[in-house]
Amino acid sequence: MITLTINEKEITLDKPVTVLEAAKLAGIKIPTLCYHEALKPYGGCRLCVVEVERMPRLQTSCTLMSADGMVVKTESEAISKARRGILEFLLINHPLDCPYCDKAGECELQDMVNKYGASAGRYKEEKRKVPESHKDQILARNMERCIVCTRCVRMCGDVQGASAISIIGRGNRSRMEPFSSAAFNCEYCGNCLTVCPVGAILSRLYIHSFRPWQLDKEVETVCSYCGVGCSFVAQVRDDSIKRVIPRFDLGLNKGLLCSRGRFGYEYISSPERLKTPLVRKHGKLEESTWSEALSVVAERLGHIKKTHGGSSIAGIASPRCCNEDNYVFQKFMRTVCGSNNIDSISRTGFAAAQKYFEDLLGQGITANMIDGLKNSDAILILGGDPTAINPVLGLSIREASGRGAKILVLGNAKGLERFKTLHIMPEVFKEADTLESLLIGIYNARGTRGEKPAIDHGIKSLAGKTGARTAVPEFDELMMTLLESKSASIVFGPDLVQRTDGHRSLFAVSGLTYLLEARLYLLSEKPNEQGVVDTGCVPDMLPGGRPLNVYDFRRKFEEAWKGPVPAEDGLTLFEIIENAGAGKIKAMYIMGENPVFNLPGGPYIKNKLQSLDLLVVQDLFLTETAEIADVVLPALGWSERTGTYTNLERRVQLQRKTVETLHGMEDWRIISEVSGRMGCKMSYTEVRDIMEEMAGVSPLYRDITYQEIGKGNCLWPYHGEPLRGEMKTVPAAADIEREHREDFYLSVEKPLFHSGTLSGKSPALMKIYPGPVLRVGASAAKKAGLKEGDKVQFFTQTGSREAVVSIEESIRDNRVYYSNNFKGSGALGLMTFTIDEVTKAPGLEGCEVKIKKL
Amino acid sequence: MFNETVLKEIDEIRVKYPDRKSALLPSLYIAQREFGWLSQEALLCVAKTLNLPETEVRGAASFYSMYRHKPAGRNLIQLCTNVSCMVLGAERLADFISRKYGVQPGGTSQDGRFSLVIMECIGACGTAPAMLVNTDFHDSLTEKRIEEILEKYK
Repeated sequence: MITLTINEKEITLDKPVTVLEAAKLAGIKIPTLCYHEALKPYGGCRLCVVEVERMPRLQTSCTLMSADGMVVKTESEAISKARRGILEFLLINHPLDCPYCDKAGECELQDMVNKYGASAGRYKEEKRKVPESHKDQILARNMERCIVCTRCVRMCGDVQGASAISIIGRGNRSRMEPFSSAAFNCEYCGNCLTVCPVGAILSRLYIHSFRPWQLDKEVETVCSYCGVGCSFVAQVRDDSIKRVIPRFDLGLNKGLLCSRGRFGYEYISSPERLKTPLVRKHGKLEESTWSEALSVVAERLGHIKKTHGGSSIAGIASPRCCNEDNYVFQKFMRTVCGSNNIDSISRTGFAAAQKYFEDLLGQGITANMIDGLKNSDAILILGGDPTAINPVLGLSIREASGRGAKILVLGNAKGLERFKTLHIMPEVFKEADTLESLLIGIYNARGTRGEKPAIDHGIKSLAGKTGARTAVPEFDELMMTLLESKSASIVFGPDLVQRTDGHRSLFAVSGLTYLLEARLYLLSEKPNEQGVVDTGCVPDMLPGGRPLNVYDFRRKFEEAWKGPVPAEDGLTLFEIIENAGAGKIKAMYIMGENPVFNLPGGPYIKNKLQSLDLLVVQDLFLTETAEIADVVLPALGWSERTGTYTNLERRVQLQRKTVETLHGMEDWRIISEVSGRMGCKMSYTEVRDIMEEMAGVSPLYRDITYQEIGKGNCLWPYHGEPLRGEMKTVPAAADIEREHREDFYLSVEKPLFHSGTLSGKSPALMKIYPGPVLRVGASAAKKAGLKEGDKVQFFTQTGSREAVVSIEESIRDNRVYYSNNFKGSGALGLMTFTIDEVTKAPGLEGCEVKIKKL
Repeated sequence: MFNETVLKEIDEIRVKYPDRKSALLPSLYIAQREFGWLSQEALLCVAKTLNLPETEVRGAASFYSMYRHKPAGRNLIQLCTNVSCMVLGAERLADFISRKYGVQPGGTSQDGRFSLVIMECIGACGTAPAMLVNTDFHDSLTEKRIEEILEKYK
């Protein structure tokens, strides 16, 4: 216990904090400039000076730890004089161009000078002149205004871990600069923008376009890009989002954002957005009215249901749509169309992996707080680069590294290059072997826990098989580190699911999680992958994870929905596609998804979808899939509607409507309109009604309200209950033998700056990452005689693309990476796939690549 | 990139410190010796060798004025013009070097033979004027003596 007196007020502290923080706790405000709550104390600006009894000179309260019996004064004549003096110094080189500066009105320096004076300086010489730098496409730098508080540099280095900027020079020539002194070569998280107290770093997305006091409204909402679900405030003027700013007291991201969240919001006002419904007439998509388009859909769906039965209709839901949309969608498919053929693109990663993990380890095994990663002493990362797939989660890994955690990376992960302790590079297609060996190694050292018979048995039979199958360098060290760790975490990405024997990796990871008692994190590329599963957009589960084939569960939903739910499990995503046309699927209703581009084997899938009797697509843009649809219905996007997302840690979060729009309808509203026209009226008037219904029927979201979600309190396990049993035996499939022949293997790049094809509609993100390049590892490139900037053509068995080579030091093997984000040039279209019999996820095949120089 | 010998030299420095950052300043001196000055390339080499962020390396290098931030000649003349040296005619000597060898203070001669830097006190006030050529110390300078001394530096 520490008791100190600040301004004659006695303050008792449980743990030692700085005098500044103690004052803050007591509601006493001390002015600061270089201090920031998200950063370590620096003591650079000297504005927070206070008088402490029995201490000589004024003390900087941001660096002074409070001690028992301390007597502190935060305001006095001497202190005011010191602060005034410091501000006078700061203004020596400051241009005082407030009438022209964007920051005016929210500038900390302006406010401070306003309060403490120093309005007239005694400095008569020339001020420092530095022209504003617009060499970067996203961030403008004005080094005349900079007060060298180094908040940006500390944010970039200590928190973001990018270390892309530094203070260059010294004295009055000090300035913040990236290494090149021109454009930034960084992660474009823009967190430097948030912490800059003056107008020295500015976003070119909105520079000179408004004043802070001219904003019409501010809306707290959730980002629409990835499964982390960062909160921020969208600031609106004239019904368009001017900027998004994170708040340090808001949401799980605690004031941090990534490039997509911060700069990617403009896609919503893209001129390419669909404005009216389109209906195919005489082979061409033509503009139509809502009433015509909805009637066409209802009529033709009804007809197909009558002639071929409900199971000839299939639906693909979307992890970009809200829980409410997905819930209404599956209810429509099940009760109105009479089909359980519902799945989503999450099948290719998140949903498949989660089902496997939960079946073995129990529901909620992946519901771990992202914040908890920081407290791990060892983190095993596999199946993708978390700093690119879920950037803000990646920051927790970097922070853990700073706290001394061992960062163990399996595979290529550029964003962890400077943070990893150990790097293991399994051969392409041999990842499962490495993981199984690791599991057996741990098992041999520690034995099983004897708590879950299915896994115990699975591990034992695996160990009995052949023992360790593969050895890679540093393997022993990896094993020892994991065995020594007391609070291990495993971060699992989608790449390892996309193997024909992906279930082997999933079992190995389940086993590791179990033996090490590790926390398991499942990376999620889309914002609502968890929600898609939770709301029942899977062929075998009703909302809340209730198994469909249990009569009691089904009956409860039938009663609530006032309609029959078919008893047999539906088809999974790829079974739906396989059965399209010639098979038994005649009609497909796709909500917010683009399978032709986003799934492997594009040409095959396009062919299949074209052979359907009816293809309905609801989307924001005329995607590759919408182009071949019979009816296209324009939906509303993020910020135009209210709804909830469930993030990868199973936190339900509220996305609030921010702007009005003239075109399009909410996804759930379109579906309920179609449903009404098919003779089943859905009685929702607003989105809140749907959540109310969900809270009533889904045992997972029981009694959840918007009010509660809005406060950010809706975390696993909500008010729910454990919902389904665990697997009794571990499913297996035949082993696959492979030979290695090719020099290069194609992988799908998951860039930090893009997410699906949505981000391609955002001008800022397109400036940062304008088009696809072929990323080749340095040593592999050297072997093949490839250089940076070489024009090449690369071939897989099914196609080829021309591309420019980019050499990437962080790629350590013969994988080459090509993105699947730009129209007309996706990597997935060049691949084929086979289905993992256990998870029903696609194993990417046909990735062997030949590269020809042009 | 640095050759094997240099990498080994930096490695030996690195093991003396608990963290990589501490080895930065001595490594920069090595880079300067190898490249003649701290070019972007030299900074990148140091960053890569020590696995430090490039900007951090540049930030540290730019803070210290005794690193060379632009290309230098083969030999560096550092002439003192502080009080004692000035009184004994160091400024005239600076003019002499400029004229004779075609090198302005802060600049490099066209043949790349000399760079000239005007120094603050180098602690030889008793035998002023004084200068450093590379790491060699010379005092009691006159125009004639400078000519003789510089003859040895090609």
